[in-house]
Amino acid sequence: MHDGRFDPSGFYEFNLTGGTVRTRAGERVVMLSEGVLSALVEAAARDGDLTPLRRLGELLGEQVLSGLDRPASVLSAEAVLGHTSAVTALFGWGRLAFERWGPALVIALRDKPELDEDELGAAALLGGMFSEISQRQVSCVPTGDSKFIMVDFEVAETVWGWYKDGADLPAIVGMLESKRAS
Amino acid sequence: MSNREDRLRSLLDKVRAKRPEERTTHAADALERMRTASGTTAAAVAPSSPPLPPAAQPTPVPSAFPTQAAPQSFSEPQTSQRLESPTRYSSQPPRVERPLSVEPRTPSVRPISATPSVPSPAPTTRRPESIRPQSVAPTGQPVVYATDPPEFPRPKTFGDLLELTLSLRPR
Repeated sequence: MHDGRFDPSGFYEFNLTGGTVRTRAGERVVMLSEGVLSALVEAAARDGDLTPLRRLGELLGEQVLSGLDRPASVLSAEAVLGHTSAVTALFGWGRLAFERWGPALVIALRDKPELDEDELGAAALLGGMFSEISQRQVSCVPTGDSKFIMVDFEVAETVWGWYKDGADLPAIVGMLESKRAS
Repeated sequence: MSNREDRLRSLLDKVRAKRPEERTTHAADALERMRTASGTTAAAVAPSSPPLPPAAQPTPVPSAFPTQAAPQSFSEPQTSQRLESPTRYSSQPPRVERPLSVEPRTPSVRPISATPSVPSPAPTTRRPESIRPQSVAPTGQPVVYATDPPEFPRPKTFGDLLELTLSLRPR
């Protein structure tokens, strides 16, 4: 029933006898409080290994792909956003939105859990999710105000350095240019 | 005065002769009242008599009605005027404006007698050239040119946005 809209009914299957919660795709999930998750993410960010969060993002991306009847690359941005924001909300990761800043695609994630100060945990989650959705390796770099610019993983470190040096999102976009235009 | 009393009395006698069993009629009562009240029948006949009761007033209405209606119904001058008016109009040819729909589009089909020899007054009575049918005639261009849908840019898909943002490199 791929009518273009996400159907949240029956997304979770609660097995009280077995003590498990699964998604309708069969993935087992665990309910965590925001405080516990925040401590775990802080520790992972200090160690420089956010792989678990990226893996969680990939799982969310798989949930999104299971609701699409065609590859995301041929769908409209609104259709992809509808499914992605629904899955993100079902897992409690806040409100997702797309923004276009010139040639750059920016992901806004409002009301997300407060995990780490630099928002690297959310960046890893979004990177893993959109890599799974687009079937390409993408990076979502924090640019402040709960916004993440989506760039190729090869330039992610450079963009992150600009942001840490104080550049805001318009400045970062201004320092980038399309490879196809040059 | 006495003549009117005599006529009323004769009328009363006629009624009594037709219906002898009725010794008292409305006419006799009226006659008796006139005698005892004023001693004259003029007050009952005159329409402007104030002492008469309202029940006696309908009596003069029939006598006054024919004297006023007759001259109006037979000698009304307006009726004859209305009948004469179509004849008077038909004696003169009506001036009818030439309808725009049948106006000749080319000078060759216009009647020669109605067209003056001087061409200068003719444009003042003709319709402006901008609203003549010739101005909206098809120009011979194929209609398909006007019905071709305009080309709009194809809406960007999520893949298009992704390609664009992943192509960004530092300047």
